[in-house]
Amino acid sequence: MKKSVMVIGGGIAGIQTALDLAEKGIDVDLVEKLPSIGGRMAQLDKTFPTNDCSICILAPKMADCYAHPNINVRTYSEIKDISGTAGDFKVDVLKKARFVDEEKCNGCGDCFKVCPVSLPNEFDMDMRERPAIYMPFLQAVPRTATIDRAGVAPCSSKCPAGLSAQGYVALIRAEKFKEALDLIRRTVPLASVCGRICHHPCEEGCNRTDIDDPVAIAGLKAFVGDYVRQQGEDVPTPIEEDRKEKVAVVGAGPAGLAAAYRLALKGFKVKILEATSKPGGMLWWGIPDYRLPKDVLTAEVDHLLAHGIEIEYGKTVGKDLTLEDLKKDHDAVFLAIGAHKSLTLGVPGEDLEGVVHGVDFLHKIADKETVKIGKKVAVIGGGNAAMDAARTALRMGSDVTVIYRRTKDEMPAIGAEIKGAEEEGVKFEFLASPVKIQGKDGKISAIECIRMKLGEPDQSGRPRPVPVDGSEFTVEVDTVIPAVSQAPDLDTLGSKNLAVTKWKTLEADPGNLSTNVPGVFAGGDAVSGPASAVEAFAAGNKAARYIEKLLNGESIEPEPEEKDEHVITLEDIKARMKGEITKSERVLRQHLPDDKRRTSFEEVEKVFTKEEALKEAARCVSCGPCSQCEACAPACGPNAIDYTMKDQIVTLNPAAIVVATGFDMWDPTAASEYGYKKYPNVYTAMEYERMINAAGPTGGHIVRRSDGEHPKKLAFIQCVGSRNPQVGHPYCCSVCCMHATKEAMLAREHYEDINSTIFYKDMRACAKGFNEYVERAKSDYGVSYINSDATVQENAETHNPVVVFDVGGKQQSEEFDAVVLATTLVPRKDTVELAKKLGLKLTEFGFFESPDSILDFGKSGVPGIYLAGYCAGPADIPESVAQGSSAAAKAAEVLANSGGG
Amino acid sequence: MPENTSTEKEKPRIGVFICHCGSNIGGFVDVKAVTEYASTLPDVAYATDNLYTCAEDGLNNIKETIKEHNLDRIIVASCTPRTHAPLFQRTCEAAGVNKYMFTFVNLREHCSWVHMKEKEKATQKAKDLVRMGVARARFLEPQEETRVDVTPTALVVGGGVSGMTAALSLANMGFPVHLVEKDKELGGFVRSLHALMMTTKSANETIRPLIDKVNAHKNITQHLSSHVASVEGFIGNYDVSIGGDGAEPKEVKVGTIIVATGAVPLVPDGLFGYKEHPGIITSSEFEELCNKKELPRLKSVAFIQCAGARGQKVSYCSRICCNVAIKSAIHIAENRDNILGVTEEKAAEAGEAVEEPAAEKKAEEEGSERRRRRRGRGRQAEDGAGEEGAAPSSGVEVTVFNRDVMAYGVENELEFNKAREKRVKFVRYGPDNLPKVSVKDGKLEVGYFHETLKMERTMPVDMVILSTPLVAQPDAATLSQLLKVPLGQDGFFQEAHVKLRPVDFATDGVYVCGACRGPADIAESVSQAAGAASRASIPLANGFVQAEALTSVVDETKCTGCGTCVEVCPYSALRKNDEGISEVIAAACKGCGCCGATCPEGAITMTHYTDQQLLAEAKAALEEV
Repeated sequence: MKKSVMVIGGGIAGIQTALDLAEKGIDVDLVEKLPSIGGRMAQLDKTFPTNDCSICILAPKMADCYAHPNINVRTYSEIKDISGTAGDFKVDVLKKARFVDEEKCNGCGDCFKVCPVSLPNEFDMDMRERPAIYMPFLQAVPRTATIDRAGVAPCSSKCPAGLSAQGYVALIRAEKFKEALDLIRRTVPLASVCGRICHHPCEEGCNRTDIDDPVAIAGLKAFVGDYVRQQGEDVPTPIEEDRKEKVAVVGAGPAGLAAAYRLALKGFKVKILEATSKPGGMLWWGIPDYRLPKDVLTAEVDHLLAHGIEIEYGKTVGKDLTLEDLKKDHDAVFLAIGAHKSLTLGVPGEDLEGVVHGVDFLHKIADKETVKIGKKVAVIGGGNAAMDAARTALRMGSDVTVIYRRTKDEMPAIGAEIKGAEEEGVKFEFLASPVKIQGKDGKISAIECIRMKLGEPDQSGRPRPVPVDGSEFTVEVDTVIPAVSQAPDLDTLGSKNLAVTKWKTLEADPGNLSTNVPGVFAGGDAVSGPASAVEAFAAGNKAARYIEKLLNGESIEPEPEEKDEHVITLEDIKARMKGEITKSERVLRQHLPDDKRRTSFEEVEKVFTKEEALKEAARCVSCGPCSQCEACAPACGPNAIDYTMKDQIVTLNPAAIVVATGFDMWDPTAASEYGYKKYPNVYTAMEYERMINAAGPTGGHIVRRSDGEHPKKLAFIQCVGSRNPQVGHPYCCSVCCMHATKEAMLAREHYEDINSTIFYKDMRACAKGFNEYVERAKSDYGVSYINSDATVQENAETHNPVVVFDVGGKQQSEEFDAVVLATTLVPRKDTVELAKKLGLKLTEFGFFESPDSILDFGKSGVPGIYLAGYCAGPADIPESVAQGSSAAAKAAEVLANSGGG
Repeated sequence: MPENTSTEKEKPRIGVFICHCGSNIGGFVDVKAVTEYASTLPDVAYATDNLYTCAEDGLNNIKETIKEHNLDRIIVASCTPRTHAPLFQRTCEAAGVNKYMFTFVNLREHCSWVHMKEKEKATQKAKDLVRMGVARARFLEPQEETRVDVTPTALVVGGGVSGMTAALSLANMGFPVHLVEKDKELGGFVRSLHALMMTTKSANETIRPLIDKVNAHKNITQHLSSHVASVEGFIGNYDVSIGGDGAEPKEVKVGTIIVATGAVPLVPDGLFGYKEHPGIITSSEFEELCNKKELPRLKSVAFIQCAGARGQKVSYCSRICCNVAIKSAIHIAENRDNILGVTEEKAAEAGEAVEEPAAEKKAEEEGSERRRRRRGRGRQAEDGAGEEGAAPSSGVEVTVFNRDVMAYGVENELEFNKAREKRVKFVRYGPDNLPKVSVKDGKLEVGYFHETLKMERTMPVDMVILSTPLVAQPDAATLSQLLKVPLGQDGFFQEAHVKLRPVDFATDGVYVCGACRGPADIAESVSQAAGAASRASIPLANGFVQAEALTSVVDETKCTGCGTCVEVCPYSALRKNDEGISEVIAAACKGCGCCGATCPEGAITMTHYTDQQLLAEAKAALEEV
């Protein structure tokens, strides 16, 4: 069997090892954690002492590596587990899903332009932003985009309909309003409606909740629905296919509308039969205008129906025609008749005049019928129907008391409704349950209740209300509106063939919503009992999916529901954002003044203006960070994007392993004497390096963070964190003296008027050509060198950093325009974990240890595992390259002596 | 040059494939217009545009149209050849077209990406670029790539730590190695040293296992007391003559050569009173005295760093001397291995208590080692150590006069800290204020400028150790000529690229490592040596070298044998044949074109970039359209 070598780390050292081995016919797996190989060298602008363009000399090697037939470049991959010994290792490599097919993607970048997500670009030291689908830099190898998707945002995960909430929030933030609405419509056909009335579990999930307040996700949905319509851009989607099959949908509520819409988009002939005279079901009949204006509902339903959907009003199945009739004329039927029948309280006196059931009450109001209610109204129940009834009665001039058997905390109504009711003056009688409606002359005189207390949790998880013996009391009222629950009106439907549950709902397979009658599906409140609109939309979507399958002649066997994607937590975000999540106040929606609310049915919560919406959308912390808005796939010419891609474990069998994982930059924020992050014009050396790079965040311009001006006096401070035992890095990083010298030279090359001063401990210019380079910096580039420790203060007025230093025992200070800190280079932060997996020892400073660091540098403590580059201790580029080749030789020796290769 | 150029006679049939690259080109260049234009150009038999030429359907399109339209030359006008040329060349070959009949036109990096705001001009430029490509393509010729067999044996020149390491690595990979050492035994410069850093073993003890392994390895043939007398040939096929002391030269055939000849310390004649007093010695001489246990009685020692370096005799910093001085300073301070040669009797005679660390004391010290390494020492403390503080435990005051302490990396810096803990004083001097060594009444003293006090001071010492830089071997130039590899301005061997090819020479087949390419410590030399072994093993392992057919070709009828081309070739790819005429070693040629540009007779052309092709391209560029 042909033996191979694994190289961990695709920086210059690892690339060198891989190329050396591959060129003599040895197979190499080059495993890189990031989406591109190239490592730190790719981030550098120039290299000392020749000032060669770093990427110009590196990119060809990266390309050679990727194109080499003997090298399998495995980017976006990590070592999971390892076993075995030299000559025969077994390594499990986790190939993270990048959601883009490496074979198909040609790196054109068309997808970057459509992505609404903005994230800090790590490659540019967070100094600019990148989309969630990205390549870390222009010359990345492979030239393959990667979707930065660590999991699903909790908002999206919590949506009962599975709507990508983060997706449309991100699109709104990017002012892609039409795209946002299209995304919503793929799951929720009525965006303006849903945004107004949804109980938004998405917001409960929002990771901002624990920082300040959740993003107003539902409000944004209402905004974008309205906004696109107002802009006249809400035109029906052209339907490409034309199917001859006919589908009947019974009921024009949210479930029926959703199913009809989905099926119409697929080209089926869809006819809705609606028993009433208006579309929307409970949306029309159950939700008063002050929450959902009828014109909004009408506009959205009209848009939906415009997709070739036929609708017939006043047709009740079971009365005007039978289910069997429907079946005869159609290839499939979807029953979505809702739950419109009020359930009774089951207490004496319910037949008295003055008892109006909640659903009937609201229906009549919606139908503009005159409903007579009294001065003192009791509403029984704690759900949305109860709140709607209470707030409606209030608007009709009554004094309203809500009687609920648990406490406010257990009320199923959405918070905004309860709050609205309270604000408007609805009274609440909690922990009370009616036992009798008392009457006089056939009319109500009072309601007798019993006090309740909370007991053990019931099936719903809420504490069970238990009556307190002898606690009866009466409330004087003249009208009682019971609004406890509703049920589907199955009597009217009148089909004996359909199976019914013991709760008097239609029986349907929860997996595909098929009923016991072939070709007949059912969903929404008629199946689930009273639930939310968004759940009804979800049911409509599901029914449509399986009806389509049925009509395609496919199996309607329920598909397994995949819900294994990691839900992003606040901890995940804190880790990604390095703990920097700024608080930002939730934008509150304008409200109708309280006094007007008591007399008017005008919409209470105003929809966001565009400005408010943009401000609110900007609060989203991009949990995913990919928002799963799915805008990129259609933008991809070669169809390279695959959202279903999964992480994979690949088991490899290398004979030898070379570790070349490089270094990280120490964050100097904690060392407050340097003022990093405290003073705007203090930079780290790598930030500066990215700035002077023409492809970098400032296009090669050195600019001050405080004012965008280019600095004329630059200070470089060496050994920031290094040669400093106090912060745990007593060692010297070996490269910063030359690096600073180069940076100072480049400053002058960019701007003739820049003067640089380097504060150093020892100018360690001690390899080939280095001393000459420093001399040249002094003579040709006017760079000054001052042998001193230095700290930084600031002139608060100009934001000029002030460097405090020491010459000849005297403290001095000098003002500069900007300061660049040569921060310590430290082992990559996952080194400890990797070392554990590989069984390698680390030095006291966290570098991989070579037990014989004199004669066998690069040989680790484990036979068959070798080290190269900075992960084994400070080394510059040529040293890393030499070590890369050296490790290749050692690996080749193993192969030669283990009978293969 | 290949014989079969039958297509030359026939009229070319060129296929042009113009890529939109999504919107990358298509967004800024009117690709349809360029395609239409291309189809009007002479000898273009077929022109089309693709959304992505590199995608599966684009590649199939090329293959199919080659057959359908009988195309013999292919142009793809798209992105960069760096990433995509091999792909399209493979596609051509799969359809039976020689890969050298393919040419690339870059419409993305060279056109659309730089002219995003001027669509019309970008379109015009794209037309110009395509026209140029077509003009060149008409003169393309199929080429065959040269393949040269390689003798799977290596030569390593130099038997020091670098040479031994390189030889051992190659031998372990299974290749026979000839190891040439001019001395009569292996070990090189290290053999002359007393002690090393980071180990309590002596230098000789430290390298003994390496020497033993080399001696024991069956793949290594040692040539001691020998030198490389002559070298003929090129990569894969070197005939090397190894000369010995009076012995008959031995002829060996090797495929690759590693140069590991090391360096020597500078003799500081005329600097700091060297040779004027027996107490003024170099650091190498100090090592020898330690080895021989002949150090005189010492009370105060001064090291002077950069003795001859950084602008004195040589311009460079010799990298290792500070760390050598730190090591020696610590050893003196600790009287390690009793290098001070003080016996207890002698000490009693002199009435001094000499501290020889007892066993338990040693253990205790090692226990505190970790804490010390963690703790280190602040920079400020160091300046204070310049004048005062207790003497080291050995009772000898040690002062290191330095310009910058080059204690780079982890271990060196920790040793530097340790030296300061041991009360070794480090006194900085500037290039304008060199320390002055003088002899007063037969006693040595060092005069220096105190940076803090801003005044001249003197310090009486018993010994001045001059840390002199490593310089190139005296015979480096000879070897460089034999191997036709360059030396840098400091006389060290010059690698191919200072950053990315640290152990290669520009000439294929010859590699370099260790101090002969510049001062390096043992660990660095060893890394380079194994690295050079890796590089040198590539042709050996393959058994052949294959060169792209981008080489120069000498017209023997025009060549006058002036030899200019041989001089200018950076890769030693040209030589004179028996008739004095230049000939190209195709395996070594990189196709850079230096020879062709220099040849006074115009006798040299470059395959695939012929004058005819390039001139046609240039003329096409200037054509009025």
